[in-house]
Amino acid sequence: MTYFVTQLVSGLILGALYALVALGFSMVYGVLKMLNFAHGDLYMVGAYVGFFLIQWFGGSSAPSTLWIPVPLLVTLMFVSAALVVGGLGVVLERFAYRPLRDAPRIAPLITAIGVSFFLQNVALLLFGGQYRNYNTPNFISLYSGIKIAGVSIDDAQILVLVLTVVLMVALRLLVGRTTLGKQMRAVATDREAAEMMGINVNRTISATFFIGSALAGVAGVMGGLLFNQVYNLIGFQQGLYAFSAAVVGGIGSMPGAVLGGLLIGLTQSFINGYVSTQYVNQLTFALLIAVLLVRPRGVIGRAQLAKV
Amino acid sequence: MIAATTVLGALVVAGCGSSSSSTVAALKSCNATIEIEAPITGPVAFLGQEQLHFAQLAVSNDDAANKTKITLAQGDTQLNPALATTVTRQATANSAIVGVVGPAGSQEVIAAGPLMARGGLGFISASATNVTLTQGTYPTFFRVVSNDGVQGPQDAHYIINNFHPKTVMIVDDEEAYSTGLVGFMMPVFQAAGVKVTHLSVSQKVTDFSSLVAKITPQTSVVVLPWQIASNAEQFGRNMAQQHKHAIIFGTDGLYDPKNFTIPGSYVSSFGPDITAIPADASLVSQETALHGSFGTFGPPMYAATHVLDEAIHSVCMGGHAPTRANVLAAIKATNESTSILGGAISFNAHGDNAHGQFYLFKIDSAGKYHLVPSS
Repeated sequence: MTYFVTQLVSGLILGALYALVALGFSMVYGVLKMLNFAHGDLYMVGAYVGFFLIQWFGGSSAPSTLWIPVPLLVTLMFVSAALVVGGLGVVLERFAYRPLRDAPRIAPLITAIGVSFFLQNVALLLFGGQYRNYNTPNFISLYSGIKIAGVSIDDAQILVLVLTVVLMVALRLLVGRTTLGKQMRAVATDREAAEMMGINVNRTISATFFIGSALAGVAGVMGGLLFNQVYNLIGFQQGLYAFSAAVVGGIGSMPGAVLGGLLIGLTQSFINGYVSTQYVNQLTFALLIAVLLVRPRGVIGRAQLAKV
Repeated sequence: MIAATTVLGALVVAGCGSSSSSTVAALKSCNATIEIEAPITGPVAFLGQEQLHFAQLAVSNDDAANKTKITLAQGDTQLNPALATTVTRQATANSAIVGVVGPAGSQEVIAAGPLMARGGLGFISASATNVTLTQGTYPTFFRVVSNDGVQGPQDAHYIINNFHPKTVMIVDDEEAYSTGLVGFMMPVFQAAGVKVTHLSVSQKVTDFSSLVAKITPQTSVVVLPWQIASNAEQFGRNMAQQHKHAIIFGTDGLYDPKNFTIPGSYVSSFGPDITAIPADASLVSQETALHGSFGTFGPPMYAATHVLDEAIHSVCMGGHAPTRANVLAAIKATNESTSILGGAISFNAHGDNAHGQFYLFKIDSAGKYHLVPSS
């Protein structure tokens, strides 16, 4: 039982992270029909923001020389990462993607790949190629937290799970019940019609990029807190998993992104625990391919009617 | 600083000298270009950057000492055999390059070795330790460090003799380096009647909770022949989260006092801690002033570059142009009585350092590394 719960918790945490990044991916696709392959690298930038704040406040050394309360530090990390990465997303949209908005679809796709390499290499130039370590246990104990079925879940893990749920609910409310959310849905449905109805499309798209990127930034801090390490290429794999999660869940669908993220996280964890540690990715993606063969538009993706 | 006595006579033996019985006049100017092949960017750029810094330092110091003018070209392989092949093709096509230091990984040497041989380029790795590299397949390959055939059994014997485990878990990282090393450890454990649980995990994994859950109470040692220290740190933390108390025993890549600090762990490394070698004090302060702290990948690269620099110097001192053939012959004849690594360097017929050895470190409760006897 303990073994099973360990795999379950591990899968849920991994899945929550994938879901958070996938949400931003899916939002941008929903509004712009564009695959932003640089999205994973925004996760990396968020992780760096968190890392440098820990350094700044003296949290990574052992024994910790942290000179502000831990809750304040963690709050600052999440808020700063959201603002910095959200802002970066807006800048990228304005200068890299907006000029290509009416270009053939392949153009922004290639640009996104270029932006991804650009961000990776700027990080390499600014921060070096070495792995940086959050050293989370120096300020959040590994031994605090709760026990479920004999499995210890520490404070950092609880924080990540709770915050992920809160952010998902908040996003759901924002999209479903606010004016901005309505505007986003309108732009996603028909950009030209939305513009004719007086919606500021540019501002709506910028807001979408801000929110999606901010989520990736927050996920980057979460990843740093949980897995401790950050380096310039850490976003690539996260981006790949997030993309897969968005596609499996039904790209453009926010519940789909969450479902896809959890599906990948749990599948990886249980394959790791019960089948093979060596073929985790192969088996996970084989399963996802099987899902897509049965439901090509994703688990909760729906076919769209188009006038011809 | 570092005494080096490269045997000049080898050039004569190799048929490069035109005046074997008379005194030869040294070339007035000794200019040459060498290349470093290292993962300067990419997932292990921290390692490649350190190697680059030490190669630059060696060239600078050797130029000053020998009055040579050696240019260091850079080839970024990202620890990727395909890129190593591309970079090596460029190097062999560039006639100005007379020797190479690197590449870093065994898998890269396997990819680049035939090209180096065809181009007549001598290349000296500072970290490729796979045994097959020095079995005659790559005639222009040399390494200043020892090989897995020494490290694997040495580490396994240490574990058996000092920890007396009933069960050992070995987790490789699916790379040639890691799986090769495991191949040398397994027979030793099996011969000693130790039960071995062997698993594999990708270098790209960052959460090891699922894997750690597999550590049984009978498992007293977990061997991690990995190249990324942060991963092992996370593995150790996942162990702590799950209240698992096995000893972590790592290899080369885990020697990283910044990123791997799990108390009670052991790390065996092809490179010594040169900060503890008195003769290296000035080098340590030079490098620290330039780039801050460093690990165990840089010093062997300094040694490799120094061997190549001295080979070029010896060719020039013999009155010959530092061509690829001349430099290769001089590398083969290397006979340094001491080096930055604390030991001598000379090569056997297949390019292995005849004096290579491994060093074992234990991490204390404050995360500090201490050299311990490796037997």
